[in-house]
Amino acid sequence: MKSARAISAALAAAAAFGAGAALAQDTVKTENVTARLLSERIALVPGRTAWLALHFEIRAGWHTYWLNPGDAGEKTEIVWSLPPGFAAGEIQWPAPQRLVEPGNIAVYGYTGTATHLVPVTVPADAKPGERITVAAEARWLVCEKICVPEEGKFSLTLPVQAAPPGGDVPVDGRAADLFETARAALPKPSPWPARFALSGKVLTLHLEGAALDPSRIVSIEFFPTATGAVTAAASQSVRHGAKGFVLSVEATSKTAALKTIDGVLVIKEKLDDRTVTQVFALAAAPGAAAESGSGAALSLGLALLMALAGGIILNLMPCVFPVLSIKALSFAAHGGGRMGKLGLAYTAGVLSLFAVIGALLVGLQAAGAEIGWGFQLQEPLFVMLMAYLMFAIGLNLSGLFEVGGAFAGMGSKLAARDGLAGAFFTGALAAVVATPCTAPFMGAAIGYAVAQPAPVALAIVLTLGLGMALPFLALSVSPGLLRRLPKPGPWMVRFRQLLAFPMYATAAWLAWVLSLQAGDGALLAALAGAVLIAFGLWLWQGARHGAGRGRAAAMALAVLALAGAGGLTLWAERGEAAPHSATADARWAAFDVAKLEALRREGRPVFVNFTAAWCVTCLVNEKMVLRSEAVWAAMKKKGVVAMKADWTRRDAAITRALAGLGRNGVPVYALYSPGTPPALLPQILTEQGVLAELATLPDRPAPQRAGQ
Amino acid sequence: MRRMMIALAAVLVAGAAASAREPDLGKMAPDFSATSTKGAPVKLSDFKGKLVVLEWSNHQCPYVRKHYGAGNMQKTQAMARELGVVWITVISSAPGEQGHVDAAEADKLTVDRKAKPSHVLLDPRGQIGRLYAAKVTPHMFIIGTDGTLLYKGAIDSIRSSRQSDIEKAKNYVTVALGEIKAGKPVTDTDTAAYGCTIHYKEGS
Repeated sequence: MKSARAISAALAAAAAFGAGAALAQDTVKTENVTARLLSERIALVPGRTAWLALHFEIRAGWHTYWLNPGDAGEKTEIVWSLPPGFAAGEIQWPAPQRLVEPGNIAVYGYTGTATHLVPVTVPADAKPGERITVAAEARWLVCEKICVPEEGKFSLTLPVQAAPPGGDVPVDGRAADLFETARAALPKPSPWPARFALSGKVLTLHLEGAALDPSRIVSIEFFPTATGAVTAAASQSVRHGAKGFVLSVEATSKTAALKTIDGVLVIKEKLDDRTVTQVFALAAAPGAAAESGSGAALSLGLALLMALAGGIILNLMPCVFPVLSIKALSFAAHGGGRMGKLGLAYTAGVLSLFAVIGALLVGLQAAGAEIGWGFQLQEPLFVMLMAYLMFAIGLNLSGLFEVGGAFAGMGSKLAARDGLAGAFFTGALAAVVATPCTAPFMGAAIGYAVAQPAPVALAIVLTLGLGMALPFLALSVSPGLLRRLPKPGPWMVRFRQLLAFPMYATAAWLAWVLSLQAGDGALLAALAGAVLIAFGLWLWQGARHGAGRGRAAAMALAVLALAGAGGLTLWAERGEAAPHSATADARWAAFDVAKLEALRREGRPVFVNFTAAWCVTCLVNEKMVLRSEAVWAAMKKKGVVAMKADWTRRDAAITRALAGLGRNGVPVYALYSPGTPPALLPQILTEQGVLAELATLPDRPAPQRAGQ
Repeated sequence: MRRMMIALAAVLVAGAAASAREPDLGKMAPDFSATSTKGAPVKLSDFKGKLVVLEWSNHQCPYVRKHYGAGNMQKTQAMARELGVVWITVISSAPGEQGHVDAAEADKLTVDRKAKPSHVLLDPRGQIGRLYAAKVTPHMFIIGTDGTLLYKGAIDSIRSSRQSDIEKAKNYVTVALGEIKAGKPVTDTDTAAYGCTIHYKEGS
């Protein structure tokens, strides 16, 4: 009875609306989407634009797509069937969300609801009183993990009505909120001129004169309208420069072909207790001024200067210093006018090795490998060979064996040729042993270098080498400086033996790094190999002074022992990595781009510690500063999520995150705070410095989540 | 010293293969070796002298179904095979995800769909997929006779799941293979692939 009444009421309503309502419907329910076609106003006005909307309620966990769907998916499409004289415009797309999936994939789309506004022009000669049926066929792709193409046919019948003088026909009360919200989410023209610059794999967008308060900004994100214009899954970073904001995003192979970079900029700002979202349409023209950023964006001159300073500091590193001091003392012992030549040979040695490393770095990056400075140390085989080398140098310094006039050169008669070759070799050796020690100033310079064209990158790497060779070069050309070195004497033998210990210490540390990379099997192999090397070198030394058959036998045994060490190296290479880092600490979450993005969206501050077991500076910072209770108490107070990005082994995601910060090596400490764009802390941390940086964050109890 | 540098270069070149960045056009395509669904060893560098097409697939993805349902992928495969091209279909769906199949199921799909790949590779751990930064199904790559990457991107020019669009679209793979065979440069080398995301193993 009741239902019969309902049906007759519905029929009456349909009859009242007339216009073939039997097939027409304004709502389509599919498996994953409830879609509705709505009009903002109750009637169409001749000669004006009417606003319609296709509104989606999307099943929880599922999403539909933006104009540019990102790495996959497909935008929603509407095909209109309108009476003559009517014309529908393009969909006005609200700003999308970025959804990150496994495999370095990200898509741009909508979750929850999506409202697609469409302007429809009503002809001036439309007759008031007439009823107009607007029909639309929409197709959309809706995905969770799997994707389903769906579609719906919609129609809406509206009367034509003349507008009252100076006014408009009334807004449909049921649709008012929906249209207001949708309109607020539409991009507005950008108030600031935008320019872009492409440098290697980094695209920078410069918003000139953007007067935004950095302390209020929660996030700034750029969505390009052209598919493939930027790497959708890469994180973006923002810097506040003198002339405005600079956004760094990762380019793709398709970026270079674009004449303008168009898209949508979503800025979230904290005002009082709520987060306000602003959306701007951006059309960036080429030709950004390179220096409008601050912080990570270095000019070439400054990068070269920092490379030079970084190189000089490398001389003081524990693994380099012994090799150098021995050489310097042998110079002093030598004296004479050949010093300049020796200094130049040494410089050539350093530079050749830096050129090799630089060329490998540039070449492999060009070939598509995601590597950064210190990349050699991400290879267990290289670490093992380095440990052997350090150990062998230590044995040499201890006096177990002599290498006739090669790198140590002390006590031996330096022939002219041997002297130059020896100096060259010392230089190359010093450069090899220097690589584990990333000097504080090098991070920014190398980060700048790898984002540059190959010649510039090489120039920076070579300047670094020059800086390293500089003190020695100065010593060799200035007799005055040379005279100030202590006089040679028997004490030098003791001193040389003393210098063996830093080398042993370096070897021990490299063995530990190896155990983290390739497990304890590899560690055992390395230790056994070291014993074989010591045994082989000892035999060799004895054989050199021996004679006849005994000498040959000792030589053969020595070669066998050394070959055994080599074999162990290859065996160790097959070892499995240890399941966890020795620096693991429950307080640090493992670095995860998707998690970082999600936390940033929630407005949670995140501290990311980019580190590696082979990075001495990193370990010192961790031990001295990051383990401090005061720092952890401050982090807890501010609700900071601590993440550790362990770069001990090669990791493309971490390399990309570093590139987003304008860096290419560790250590890097980034505070992704809701108040400001990511802040980079100095590479040498102090407790006060970290606490001061944390103090800029607003207080927040850890478990509470920020309001959206 | 020299030997060490050679060792260093060797490990780096081998290690470079583990990257997840998109391979560059005109550069050597990353090499891989795997066992096909038929149990045959397949190594990309063994096909030197031949053109190779890589096709990422997930038989349940609407975009893959569009091209197989209309016979377009099979037609493209037949055309390529006639030109002597080695066609390798790669399935990178992780276990439990849409499109994941075992060797028998994959071979049955080939028969049922009348597909003509030279080899079908199962890549449940996503290693080959990540090597090429393959993002969607179908995602297409063409590798030249010298092993360099000549094309990466979509199967055709209309980003939709409707079969009716195939007629109107430009089939990038067919056109590129024709151009390569005619000794001409490839017009479209780098297009935006479209489709479903590849369902890689979590944590990758």
